Amino acid sequence: MTHVRLNNVNVSLPIYDSHALRLIRLPSFSDVRVGSDTASRTKGVIVIHALKNLSFDLAEGDRVCLIGHNGAGKTTLLRLVAGIYPSTTGTVDVKGSAFSLIGGSMALNNDATGYENIRLIANLYNWPRDQYRSLVQDIEEFTELGVYLSLPTRIYSAGMQARLSFALATAQNPDILLIDEGIGAGDAHFQEKARARVQRFVSRARILLLASHSKELCRSMCSKALVLSKGECVFFGGFDEGFDVYAGLG
Amino acid sequence: MVDTVPQQVSEPRPIALALRRAQTNLWNGLNWAWLDTVCQYRRSRIGPLWETINVLVMLIGLSVVSAAVFGSSVSDIIAYVGLGIIIWSAISALVIEGGGTFVRNATYVSNSTLDLELYVARSVFKIMITFGHHVIIYLIGIVFALVPLSWTSLLAIPGIILLFVNGFWVVTVLGFICARFRDVELIVRNLMQLAFFVTPLFWNYRQIASNRQFLVEYNVLFYFIEIIRSPLLGEVPPLSHYLTVAGVTVVGYGLAYHVYRRMSRHLAFFV
Repeated sequence: MTHVRLNNVNVSLPIYDSHALRLIRLPSFSDVRVGSDTASRTKGVIVIHALKNLSFDLAEGDRVCLIGHNGAGKTTLLRLVAGIYPSTTGTVDVKGSAFSLIGGSMALNNDATGYENIRLIANLYNWPRDQYRSLVQDIEEFTELGVYLSLPTRIYSAGMQARLSFALATAQNPDILLIDEGIGAGDAHFQEKARARVQRFVSRARILLLASHSKELCRSMCSKALVLSKGECVFFGGFDEGFDVYAGLG
Repeated sequence: MVDTVPQQVSEPRPIALALRRAQTNLWNGLNWAWLDTVCQYRRSRIGPLWETINVLVMLIGLSVVSAAVFGSSVSDIIAYVGLGIIIWSAISALVIEGGGTFVRNATYVSNSTLDLELYVARSVFKIMITFGHHVIIYLIGIVFALVPLSWTSLLAIPGIILLFVNGFWVVTVLGFICARFRDVELIVRNLMQLAFFVTPLFWNYRQIASNRQFLVEYNVLFYFIEIIRSPLLGEVPPLSHYLTVAGVTVVGYGLAYHVYRRMSRHLAFFV
């Protein structure tokens, strides 16, 4: 059984870029209002409280969109679930293999061709060897990149890169898929295909967490909404209500 | 898919699973390093061979200077100096590039669920592949009979293996520390420059005064160089050299384990 359970989770991000990172201390960030509820100073390191008192349960088949203003903690939450960030306090119980599609997580090598990148990802994520051919075929069909797959990915447009990344991320059916914005770059046709692919993915009773600002995208892929505001969960439940709450945040 | 569930630190992990994980990461790291090399060839005509040319120019230059300073002929010392410089190129790459391992892979470290060992393997294997290119210089040396060739030469192979086995812990430790304390990378760079002069590369350790021998004896890098260089020059290295290297290996891996335990959870915050 796949699940994601968070209980009273707090995540504080230390900002080592301040003088704490340097052996030679230089004044920096002196204008940060420490002691506010967003930032504080522990042992000389400025800490951002990115997620506060977060508790929720996700079970198989949950398709949740994360909504909230910029800096509300959406990506941090995705990273927490992926196991990239540790929780400062509270318990994170994630069962199942997680795959994150956040920023540069797809490791697209710019000088390598599309096919070489597929081969690399297949290696890094240990795709079963006997399925490799069919997975590549699947990616070829989904991305419709044709001859571009034989060219270096550095020449791809943002939308084309998004297609390839998304195809790679969903090729292997992880138990938990974490997506951050990225796929918004695709055109309408791609969005439609991506939706169908996610439907297929979630129909196998997996968990999807999608952080996005696009209501249409969220609607097409998700059934629930989790609204974050300043690191706190202000709403978790039905999709439409969630967007109402989000609109009310102003 | 690999199981990417964050594991509890206290949870005992079966050794078999850990070994499998290590094996997968090594293999994947090698594949990645290979792709890196392919890409390097793609962008420049001779790719990593530029580094080989760098090493070649360096070793010829230093041989000439060294021959002039110590009053011997270039052909007598070029094997000693040359092999030293080639081995040094691998050591300094491990130390200097090792420090940047996680920082260079920052986007992956902070966004993907891949194991951290993978980035270490990628760095070490990339350096190993580049080092493999330098073998050309050695072969040229043999063709021109500047380097002696005997069965003893084969003893260099365990030496090279030992060097790169140590590479993994060096890259791990420096990767973490340099990610957390950015100044360390610059300090390490400086120290490596000093180490280049202190380590017997372009001067022979047999020529220095006996009351200054400690300069060589307490230099760990010397032993790593000797277990590769002296077999290639036709001498069997003393057992004590191997024991020293083995000791360093054990201590190094202990250190790497400790650093990994302490810092791996927070790496995404550092990079």
